[in-house]
Formats: sequence, C-alpha cells, structure tokens
Amino acid sequence: MDFRFDIIYDYAPLFLRGTLLTIGISLLGILFGSILGLVIGIGKMSPKRYLNLPTSAYINFFRGTPLLVQVYIVHFGIIPPIYGSTNVIVAAIVALSLNSAAYTAEIYRAGIQSIDKGQREAAYSLGMTHRQAMRHIIIPQAIKRMIPAFGNEFIVLIKDSSIVSVIAAPELMYWGKVMQTQYYRIWEPYLTAAAIYFVLTYSLSKLLAYLERKV
Amino acid sequence: MKKWGLFALAALLVVALAACGKKDSGSGAKVYKFATDAAYSPMELMDKDKVVGFDADFLDAVMKEAGLDYQLVNTGWDPMLQSVKDGKEYAGGISSVSITDERKQTYDYSAPYFESTNMILSKAGSGLKTGQDLKDKKVAVQISTTADTIMSDIMGKDNTNLKRFDSNALAFTEMESGGVDAVVADVAIVGEYLKQHPDKNLEGNLDPSFPSEFYGILLPKGSDLKAKIDPAIKKVLESGKYAEIYKKWIGKEPNVQNVLNAK
Repeated sequence: MDFRFDIIYDYAPLFLRGTLLTIGISLLGILFGSILGLVIGIGKMSPKRYLNLPTSAYINFFRGTPLLVQVYIVHFGIIPPIYGSTNVIVAAIVALSLNSAAYTAEIYRAGIQSIDKGQREAAYSLGMTHRQAMRHIIIPQAIKRMIPAFGNEFIVLIKDSSIVSVIAAPELMYWGKVMQTQYYRIWEPYLTAAAIYFVLTYSLSKLLAYLERKV
Repeated sequence: MKKWGLFALAALLVVALAACGKKDSGSGAKVYKFATDAAYSPMELMDKDKVVGFDADFLDAVMKEAGLDYQLVNTGWDPMLQSVKDGKEYAGGISSVSITDERKQTYDYSAPYFESTNMILSKAGSGLKTGQDLKDKKVAVQISTTADTIMSDIMGKDNTNLKRFDSNALAFTEMESGGVDAVVADVAIVGEYLKQHPDKNLEGNLDPSFPSEFYGILLPKGSDLKAKIDPAIKKVLESGKYAEIYKKWIGKEPNVQNVLNAK
C-alpha cells in the first residue's frame, strides 16, 4: 500500500490545532458533564417524584438518542435563540456536556447504590447521621468504584467529540476530512487522526490507572 | 452434540457465502461496477433504492454507447474513494468528482463531462457578490466540493471562518441560523434552493472570476477502462443526448463546447 507521509507532514500544523481543540472541548465536556451529572444523579436517587421524574427523563433522552442528533439540536436549535447566532465551539461543548451528564449521572448513582446496605446500617448504629454516614462511609467507597466507569466514559467522550466535525467545528476529525477533500485519499487523514485519538485516550487511561492506585 | 451443531451452522454459512459470491462472477460478460455517493441532488440522489440523477443518466448513455454492461451502486463518499483507488471491485466512481492536479496523483480521470460553476447565496441586499467580498466574512460550503476549493484559495485553507459541512443542506441551515453570511455552492444546487425558498429573501450571485472546474469519472490508476469510455463520452457529448439529460436535471442548455475543450 502506498502511504504518503508528505501530505501528512503538510497537514501537521492543522492536525495540531485540531488536536488542541479536541482536547479543549473534551476536557470542558468532561468537566461540565461531571458537574451536571452529579446534580442529575442526586436527583434521580431522590425518592421525591418532582426530582426523580425530570432527571430520569433527562437520562433516558440523552442515553436513548444518537449524539449526532443531539449535536444538531444544540447547534441549530438551542444555541441560536440564546446566543443570537450559531457558535460551533459553544455548541460542541454544550452538546458533549449534556450527553456526558446523562452517563455520569448513572455512574454516580450506580456507585453509591453499589455500597452494601449493611455499611449504612452500621454507620447509623454507631450514631452517625445520614450526612455523616454518606461523607465518611459511603462516598469514599463509592468513589473507588466509580473511577473505572468514569475512565471509560471520558475515553468514550474524547472519541465521540469527533462527531462535532459535522457542524464544522475545526477539531481533529474536521481537519482529517479537509485533508481527505484535497487529495481524495482516506487512509492518510483518518489513520493519522486515529493515531492521535489513540495517544489522547491511552494517556488518559494511564492517568486514570494511576489515580485508581492512589485512591 | 453441541459442537456438531456449530459445525453445521458454520458449514451452512460458508455455503451461503459461496453462493453469494458466485452471483457476481458467473454471469458471462464483464459487468463494470461504478460507485457513487448519491446525496448530491440533482447530480446524483436516491429515488427509493435506485440511484438517479444527472450522473446516473449520463453514465447510462456512455456505457450504452461503449457497449459495456455496468452497475451503479451507492456506496457513500469515503468507501467510493477507497474502492475505486483499489480498483478491484469497482471499475470507477461517478459522483460529481472534479478534476484537480492533487487528486490526479492518486486517480485517473475519464475525459471531462460536466462544467461546474459556483454561486454565492446570501441575504438579499447583503452586497456579497464576489469571492473577494467574502474574504473576511463567514462562509459555509459543502466539504469536498469545488466551492470548498475556491473558498479555501480565497480565505485560506486554515481559516476557521470557512465552515465546511458534510452537506449543502447543513450549510444552508447554518446560514438560516445566522452562523455564516453566505453559502457558496454549485449553481444548480443554489438554484434549486432559491426555487424552494422564495419567501426567505435570498439572492444568488455568480462571480465570473470563479474558475470553472470539470467533473470526470473517477478511475483507478492505470485503468484500461479510460480508453473504452473516453470516445463514448465524446460521442454522447456531441450527440443531442447530453443536452437532453442536462435539460432534464439542470433545467437549461449546457455549454457543450466548453466541456469538449476542457482538458
């Protein structure tokens, strides 16, 4: 197979810029997604219907519809009325955050509910309040269980961020498509992009593995 | 017992696959398979499960003229590029592919068969009439079209005010949402859009300085098909057949001489 490194070299500065944007929108998506996810996860665990119903609906919607459609809805439907015009970077971050929140909400919930009931009962029998039991007994154990699931979600989010190239966000995959356009070759642009995504996700998984040992 | 069941299933699969394989190669005369990305109305589009459009009719006329059997398959853009490059299953691709020097490094092209010009679509009264007017504006194009090439040259390949979308439909939506000032696209496509949205107060402008580009049928490097279809393309162009197909899909008379003179 002929593989042309010269055209990759030619596009290297654009791939670099795209990679920086991919890292940026992914990190912000992870950050906002985790914060919003915590709020939604707490809502879903609540026995109160007015908290439980909307948060469950949120999770079902964002887990049950394709990210591609969510990106279009946010970009063409939600951002223009609020912002006055479209803005790809904002739309990309909002769409990724909203989507990620649904998954992280379930990670928080599953993590907390995975801790055996006996742990809570034991804490109560020591005279702890609900708040104390959560803080000292339940949450620390739950966090340890959540880390692998978060790692998985973050890696998926970095790769899924490639979808925002459909709204012409100039991230990594976008420049891959532009390169494909100029030369009508598919392996050079897509394999280069894939290699960069791999480096990003692999470094993240190493970082998370380190964190897992530390906690 | 379980193992035998699995074995039988595997054997059945192999037989079924073999049977499928035979259908393609066992029909005597060679059938040339062409790939297309049928999402570029009116050049190529799907009518239910059939590829129709200008390119489909044109290919049909050319292959009839050349006396060759063919089949046109909607593969999508990237698979078309790769499978034509490989040249094993697909003998060529026809999908409004413009001829450029960069692409000639990887592919061969048939003789040019279509002249493509671009039009600037903007809000009426915006004064955006030429490519140079768009230099510092925000512009949307469909990725991998001639509009993309032209605007990349004017605005710079790495200019993020040039937004490249997967389809013209998305580029038009971006303009409606206020994300860009103008869309540049093939005159046939802008014409179709203006026709369908007379109430949106839009205007289309032709910039005579936009270079014409020519579509060719995409062929693998060193393809022997070129020698067979190039004379047929010339004949179809010179006969009234080409103008007839052109009028059917584009709605006006073609400038056949321009296409014949193109290299």
